[in-house]
Amino acid sequence: MHIPDGFLSTGTWVSTWLISIGGISYCLKKTTQILKDRMIPLMGVMSAFIFAGQMLNFPVIGGTSGHLLGGVLASVLLGPYAAAVVLTCVLTVQCLIFQDGGLTALGANILNMSLIATIGGYFIYKAIAKIGGKKKGIIPAVFVAAWFSVVLSAISCAIELAISGTSPLKIVLAVMAGVHALIGIGEGIITSLVIGFVQKVRPDLIYTLEKN
Amino acid sequence: MKHTFLDEYSQIDSFIHRLDPRIKLITFIAFILFIIFTRPTSFIAFALYALLIASLIIFSKVPVKFILMRSFTIIPFVLMVAVFNINYSGLVTFWNVLIKAYLCVVCMTLLMATARFTDLLKALGKLRFPGLITMILSFMYRYIFVVQDELMKMIQAKESRSVGGSLWLHIKTHANMLGVLFVRAYERAESVYLAMCSRGFDGQIKTMDEFGITKKDISFLVLITVLLAVIRLIPI
Repeated sequence: MHIPDGFLSTGTWVSTWLISIGGISYCLKKTTQILKDRMIPLMGVMSAFIFAGQMLNFPVIGGTSGHLLGGVLASVLLGPYAAAVVLTCVLTVQCLIFQDGGLTALGANILNMSLIATIGGYFIYKAIAKIGGKKKGIIPAVFVAAWFSVVLSAISCAIELAISGTSPLKIVLAVMAGVHALIGIGEGIITSLVIGFVQKVRPDLIYTLEKN
Repeated sequence: MKHTFLDEYSQIDSFIHRLDPRIKLITFIAFILFIIFTRPTSFIAFALYALLIASLIIFSKVPVKFILMRSFTIIPFVLMVAVFNINYSGLVTFWNVLIKAYLCVVCMTLLMATARFTDLLKALGKLRFPGLITMILSFMYRYIFVVQDELMKMIQAKESRSVGGSLWLHIKTHANMLGVLFVRAYERAESVYLAMCSRGFDGQIKTMDEFGITKKDISFLVLITVLLAVIRLIPI
């Protein structure tokens, strides 16, 4: 889902960069308010954690494989703003070091994967967890939110490609959403198992449980 | 545990490696922008861009094989676009995307193979890139190896106790590993923070300034930019 350079029209990559810069500076401000000067080491190590977690490849039907996006994992554990910052750092390092996603397309990738997936996923999680209650509602909420986070960011990636005229909307939307609906199931299972584990071992570390 | 170096070949010595990181960063960003803003039908321009990058690669002494292997990461994405565009105008779109994405990936690979990541981060900081992000990135770069090492040790321990099977068979174990990794990483972050506080950390990281732009740097930047502009303006 990392868009390379050259795939987006000038209007698209410039505007997604602007949206991302705005969104991330808001998230940075919020995170600094919450974490104060603990922020830099914590965000640094957590980015390394999500980066390592993304190395976990899981096979999906038909020879394709997906890897963990980690958006909802990060936002449930660290809160939405810190998670957006973490994912942005992960994407930047992937873009610079592994050329996963282009430099001009980095804005679009940040918008899809660190703003839409984490903050969107967080609100879905919150809404479902509210209905299900504190104890039982968390795991299903994490699963659904993780699934939606992957599918939503795939859809926004498809829309960006279609606006740029790289591929026709109907096909790209169907393919991206279809493939990522499968990957999303894997993301959901892994994310909910990890959250379940941390909830058992160190519930005090989970941001969203602390706040409730 | 074995690690592939994140910025492999950035330690070797060549004319390009010795350039100021800021100049290198600006030059390569200009390169990428020039490539992106070229019309898809100006084939000669793309050939000349490729020639220019190729000569830079040769100057930098970075193995060509390494750059080629790295540049294949865009193939899945390009193939996806190829499948979506099966008609004549689609062919132009496909060519456009393929050549631009490929040249840009080679540019980025060369940049990362000729500059140390820590130097690039410092250069970004000097170019007024938000300080918070560069500081987080430099911490992240430090701990990627540590955290990954812990994960690889756990995976090795798991592998030596279980036989074969796909990831889904051991999904619970894998998830627990990630959970443990999170708890350990969090605790590590806390102790790192405390260690920093006890050494007088006040929210700012100070490093020694050692960048200096020489005439060589400026002439490199000017030369490449002029070449790019000439290629871009060739009337085809």
